[in-house]
Amino acid sequence: MDHIRRSLLGQLARLSAGAALVPLSSVASAGINDQPARREGDPSKRYGMLIDLRQCIGCQACTVSCHIENDVPMGNFRTVVSQFEVQQQDTDNMATFMLPRLCNHCENPPCVPVCPVQATFQRQDGIVVVDSDRCVGCAYCVNACPYDARFINEKTQTADKCTFCAHRLEAGLLPACVESCVGGARVIGDMRDPDSEISRLIDKHRDELMVLQPEMNTLPQVFYLGMDERFTTKPEAEPGIWDILGTNDKELGYEFDH
Amino acid sequence: MDKSRRRMLKGAVAAGGAATFAAGYSGPLVKMAKGVTGSAGEKPHHAIYGNALAPEYRVDLNSGELTLNPDQRTAFTICYGCTTKCGVRVRIDNNNEQVLRSIGNPYHPLSADVQLPMNTPVVDALKSVSAYHEQGLNGRSTTCARGNAMIAQITSPDRVTHCLKRVGGRGERMWERISFEQLIEEVCEGGDLFGEGQVEGLRSIHNHDELIDPENPEFGPKANQLLLMEATDYGRSAVLKRFGFNAFGTRNYGHHGSYCGLAFRMGSGALMDDLAKNAHAKPDYNKAQFALFIGTAPSQAGNPFKRQGRLLAEARSTGSLDYIVVDPGLNAAASEASGERSRWVPILPGSDTAFAMAMIQWLIEHEAYAKDYLAIPSQPAADAAGEVGHTNATHLVIESEGHPRQGHFLRLSDIGEADANSDTDDLLVVDLNGVLTPSAGVQKATLFVEREVESPDGNIRVKSSLSKLREAANEHSLATYAEQCGIEAELIQRIAKRFASYGRRAVVDTHGGMMSATGFYAAYGILMLNLLAGSFNRQGGYAVGGGKFNGTGNGPRYDLSGFPGKRGPKGIFVSRSRFAYEDSSEYKRKVAAGENPYPAKAPWRSLAPPILTEQLSSGIDGYPYKIKAVIGCMANPLYGQAGLTTTIADKLKDPANLGLYVSVDGFINETNRYADYIVPDSVMYEVWGFTGAWSGTLTKMTTACWPIVEPRQQKTADGEPVSMEMFFIATAKRLGLPGFGDNAIPGADGKLYPLNRAEDFYLRAAANIAHSGETLPNANDSDIRHSGLEPLMSKIERTLPASERGPVAYLYARGGRFEDHSNAYKDNDQLGHVWKKTLCVYNPNVGTAINSQTGERLSGTPRLQKAEMSNGQLMRDVYPEDEWPLLAFSYKSNVMNSYAIGLERLRMIKPYNPVLLHTEDAARHGIAFGDTIRIESPGGAATALALVSDGVMKGALGIEHSFGHTELGASAHDIDGEKVSGNEWVGAGVNINDLGFADPTRKVSGTWLEGVSGASIRQGLPIRISRIDA
Repeated sequence: MDHIRRSLLGQLARLSAGAALVPLSSVASAGINDQPARREGDPSKRYGMLIDLRQCIGCQACTVSCHIENDVPMGNFRTVVSQFEVQQQDTDNMATFMLPRLCNHCENPPCVPVCPVQATFQRQDGIVVVDSDRCVGCAYCVNACPYDARFINEKTQTADKCTFCAHRLEAGLLPACVESCVGGARVIGDMRDPDSEISRLIDKHRDELMVLQPEMNTLPQVFYLGMDERFTTKPEAEPGIWDILGTNDKELGYEFDH
Repeated sequence: MDKSRRRMLKGAVAAGGAATFAAGYSGPLVKMAKGVTGSAGEKPHHAIYGNALAPEYRVDLNSGELTLNPDQRTAFTICYGCTTKCGVRVRIDNNNEQVLRSIGNPYHPLSADVQLPMNTPVVDALKSVSAYHEQGLNGRSTTCARGNAMIAQITSPDRVTHCLKRVGGRGERMWERISFEQLIEEVCEGGDLFGEGQVEGLRSIHNHDELIDPENPEFGPKANQLLLMEATDYGRSAVLKRFGFNAFGTRNYGHHGSYCGLAFRMGSGALMDDLAKNAHAKPDYNKAQFALFIGTAPSQAGNPFKRQGRLLAEARSTGSLDYIVVDPGLNAAASEASGERSRWVPILPGSDTAFAMAMIQWLIEHEAYAKDYLAIPSQPAADAAGEVGHTNATHLVIESEGHPRQGHFLRLSDIGEADANSDTDDLLVVDLNGVLTPSAGVQKATLFVEREVESPDGNIRVKSSLSKLREAANEHSLATYAEQCGIEAELIQRIAKRFASYGRRAVVDTHGGMMSATGFYAAYGILMLNLLAGSFNRQGGYAVGGGKFNGTGNGPRYDLSGFPGKRGPKGIFVSRSRFAYEDSSEYKRKVAAGENPYPAKAPWRSLAPPILTEQLSSGIDGYPYKIKAVIGCMANPLYGQAGLTTTIADKLKDPANLGLYVSVDGFINETNRYADYIVPDSVMYEVWGFTGAWSGTLTKMTTACWPIVEPRQQKTADGEPVSMEMFFIATAKRLGLPGFGDNAIPGADGKLYPLNRAEDFYLRAAANIAHSGETLPNANDSDIRHSGLEPLMSKIERTLPASERGPVAYLYARGGRFEDHSNAYKDNDQLGHVWKKTLCVYNPNVGTAINSQTGERLSGTPRLQKAEMSNGQLMRDVYPEDEWPLLAFSYKSNVMNSYAIGLERLRMIKPYNPVLLHTEDAARHGIAFGDTIRIESPGGAATALALVSDGVMKGALGIEHSFGHTELGASAHDIDGEKVSGNEWVGAGVNINDLGFADPTRKVSGTWLEGVSGASIRQGLPIRISRIDA
C-alpha cells in the first residue's frame, strides 16, 4: 500500500453555529489576525461556494474540466472528488460518500501570511490567488494549507491552486467545475448579494452547513450541505488502493507521480 | 438531514481524491530538498490566471451583452465519450484548430435538465449558461469527466492516421503504410496479398448467383459470407448498413449489443411485445416517488449517463424520490449524503430471477397490484378508462398439450366463431361474471382464469396470463427464492411492501446487471413489477420517451433508404437467430431420417436478433456456414465478450479460418490487432452523423454532428479525409454496387443526387430532419456566428439547394432537433410519449419458442431460472461450488469506459481496478486488504489487488470494467519499422472478460451465452481465488 495515499478523514468537521459565515459582514480589506491587507478584486463582492453533497454523483466532471481549463499538470489537481464507503452502525447498511474538494478561499487563509514574498494574497472579493511573477516556489503556503489544496506546478515552478476560475468570473462566466457539475451540486456566487443563489441557500440551510476542519480557525468559504455529523470524529478508515499492477503482475506505481 | 443516522467510514475506495491532493502535498517537499526555486519555471501566460484558457466569450453582468472571443469558436456536436452520445458545445482555437474544452449543449436534453426551447437564438443560449443573472446555475448544461477527457483522442499518439496493411502474420503487430487507393484495390480484388497464398477479395465474395450450400438453401447467397460488425450506432450506421444490406447485399451485420445489454433488452422486448426491436423504457425520475434499481445504477453509469445522474441527484435531494439499489456491488447511486432516501441491498450475481419472482409472488399473494389497470383487456377499454395502454393479463393462453395453437392466446377462431386471421377474430377473455367473451365487448375482464373452453374440436384448457404468472411465481417458496438470491426473506417482504405502498408512483429499472446466464428471464421478471404496479406509461413510472427524428429513411426531401438497384438481404444469419431450428433443412433431414432432431448441433435462437457473440465464432467454425471476410468498424468483441479471446484468438490468427479482415478504426484495439488492413477513421468531433435519444429522454430528439475540426488522418487521392464513409463509397464504386456514386440518392423532386462524399449523405439527412413536420426556420447570421458554423456553410451551399440551406443551418447551429420540454407531460398523470403496444404478462412468442438444444418450450412468463450451460446442464453441476466458490461480476466504472483507457486524464483519476472482495470471503482465503490475489476461472486467470470491504455481496467478486487492456496504446506496434505506442500503464488491471470461457457442452465452439438471447455472460462467472505471497 502506498503510504502517501492518505485519506482525508479527520479533515472534516461540523461547522459550529455557522461561525464561518460571520465574517461576511466584515470589511474585506481589513484583514484578520495577521493577514496582510487584501488587494485587487471587486471589494463589493465576496465569492463563496456551496456544495450540496446530496446532488454530487461523484462523476469527476469537475475534476477533469478544471484540469483542462486551468492547464493543471498531470497528477496534480485544483479540485477533485474523493469517494468513500460508509457503513451505518446500527444497520450495517453501506453507502457511498462523495466529497468534492478544492481551495476553501478561507476568510482567514493560513497560506497567505506565510508567504515570504507576498505572492499569495487574498483579493478583496475573497479569492485567494498566487502571483506567479512573485512566487519563488518555496512551498511554505503548500505546507501551511491544512486542506492539501496547493501544489507546486512542475511547469511554472510556482505555487498553484484553485482560483474559483477568476478569469471566467471576470468574463461573466461560471467556473469550469460549476458549469460542468452534472448533478448540479456546486453553486458559486457573491455572498454579499442577499439575492444571490448562494446567499439564499446559506440562509435556508444555515444550521446544516459544514466546513472542513473548522477547528483550524481558517473560516473556509466552501460550505457543504448533506455532510454527516459523524465525520466530525476521526474514525479509522482504510485508504484506497493506489498500487497498480501492470501486465505480468509488475508493480508500476502511479503513472503521474512527481 | 436526518441527524439520527449513525454511519461510520468503512473505507476510502480508490477514487481520485485522497491520493491526489496528498500527491500534490508530497511533491514540493522533494523539490525543496533539491533547492528548486520559482525562477526555474516556465512563465505562465498570466501572473494570476496562469495558463488558464481565455474565455470563449464575455457577458456583461449588467447589460447581458455578449462579446465573442475572436480567437475561439464554439460549435455544437456529439460526444463519443460513451454510448450516451450527449450533445455538447465545443471550444476550438481558431488559430491552431485545437479543441480546447467541451461543455454541454443547452438545447440538449441529455446534457441539460430542461433543455432550452429550440426557438431560442443561439446568442441567448450562450448567455443562458453564463453568470448573467446567475442563469447558468439553473441552466447548467454539462459534459462529464469522460467527455471532457475525450478531446485527447484527437491528438493521441496512438491514433491510426494512415491506411495500414499487416506485414508478417496476423496479430504480430507489424504494419506498413499504404495508400487508400491501394487498400481499396487489394480488398476488392484479392490476390496473394500477404505472400501466404490467394486471398478472396470482396468482388468474388459478392456473389448473388450461387447459394452458399444448395443442401441448405435457407443459408442464402454466397454474398452472405461477408460479415460487417460495428461497435454501435454513433450516428453513422446508416451508411454502413446501406453498403452491407442494400448495396453489397449480405445478411450478416452485428454490433456490440449482444455483449453489452442484450439480455436486458430482450427481457424488455418480451414485456413490451417488441422482440423485433427490443424497446426499453426508463423511470420518469422527475415524478417517481419510489424506485428499485436492480442491476443498474443511475449516476454510477448507464445510459443516458448524465441525464439519469442529474435527475436522480435532484430527485433525492430536492425532489420526492426514495430508492433502493439491488446490486452485488455498492455503487455511487447509494448516496450517504442522501441518508435514508437511498439504500443498497446486495444480491448474488445472476440470481435476479429469484428476487423478481419473490417480489411477484408477494405482490400477487397480497393483492398488491393495480387490479383495475390489469383487468383492462383491450385498447378501446383502456381509452374508456382514461388509460393510455393495457396489458394481456386477462388474455387466455391455450394450455392443452398438443393443441396446434398451444401457447397462443385463445381467439374466436379457436372455438369456431370466426375465421382465423380475419378482422373479427378477436381475443377471448372471461368477463367479470365468468362468461367467455370477445375482449372488445368488455371494459374489464377476470384476472385469474383456469378453465376448459368448449370448441368444435373438443375442450381446450386455458389459463389467463396472470394465472400463469402466479403459477410460475408459486413454483417455489419465498424461502427458496431468498436462499437463491442471498437476500433474507424478511427483507424481500419489506421491499415488496414498500414498493407496493407507493402504488402507481413506484417504478423498477434494470440494465447491464442482467448480462448473466439467466438475464432474459431476470429482466422480464424485474420489469414485470412495473406492470403489477401499473406504473408503465405513467408519470412517475416507466417512460419510453420521445424517440428520434429520422433523417435517413424515406424523408420529406430525400429518400435515403431506397435507391435504384437496392438489394434486400436474403437467407439466415450466421448467428442462427430470428430463425427457428424447426424450419431448417438440417431439422427436416433429421426428422425425415427418423432421428431425434434435438439437440441442434449448436443453439438456434428464434427470438434473438443477429448476435455478434455467435457470428464470429460460428463463422469461423462454419456452422451453419463459413464467413470469408469481415469488415469491422470500431468493433472490439475480443475485449468485450467474455471468453471470446480464449475461444477464437488462435483461430483468428490463421487466414485459413477467415480469409480477409478489414478494420475501420482510429485506434488499434484487442480485436483489430488481428486485422489484415486498418482504414484510419475520423474520431469524435471530426465526423458527420445523427444520433437518437436513449429511453429516459421524455421528448423527441436527434443530435447532429459535423466535422467541427478537420480530420487529421490521411486523405484520399481526391483530397477527402479517409473515413468509414469513404471506405464504403470507394469500395461500392469499385465493385459497381448500387446506391453509391453518382445518381445514388432519389430526391423528392424526382432527380437523383450523388453519394461521393460523406456530406452528400448526411447533409441530405439533415434536410430531411429539418423538414420533418413543421419545417425549421432559417438560421440568421447571428446564429451562424455564435455556433461556429462558418466552416460548414460552404459545404451546405455546394450540396443543398437554396431552399434547404436555412433550415439545415438552423439545425446544425443548435446541434440537432429537439422537441420542446413542455411536451414531456400531459394532463391526468400522462406522459407526452407512450408505448402503444399491449404489454405482456405472458408473451406468446416466447411461450411458443423451442429451445433448440433440449426441444423444450420456453416459458412465456418469467420464472426462476438457474444458470445453465448450452446443453441445459446446470452450471453448478459442471463447475461445482466447492471447486469454484465465488461468482465474478462486472460493473461499469463511473469514470473509465471500455475504450477510454488511452486518456491520461482518466488514468490520472482511476489508474487501476482493484477487485471487490467481501470481508468474510477474504478472511476465509487468508486475504487482507491490498493483498495481491490470483483469480482463476474455467477459461483463464488474472492477478489483481483485493479491495476488501463489506461493499460487495458475500460470495461475489466485483471487477470494474474498462481495464486490463492489451491494446489501445498498451502494446507497442511496428509501423514502417518505427515503434509506436506501448505504455504499460494503459495495460494495467483486470478485464473480467478474460475470465470468460468457452462453453464445454457445445459442439460448435462458442463462449458461455445466455440461452434465450445469446448474450455474453459476465455476471456470475464461477471463479476461485488465492493469495499470492509478495
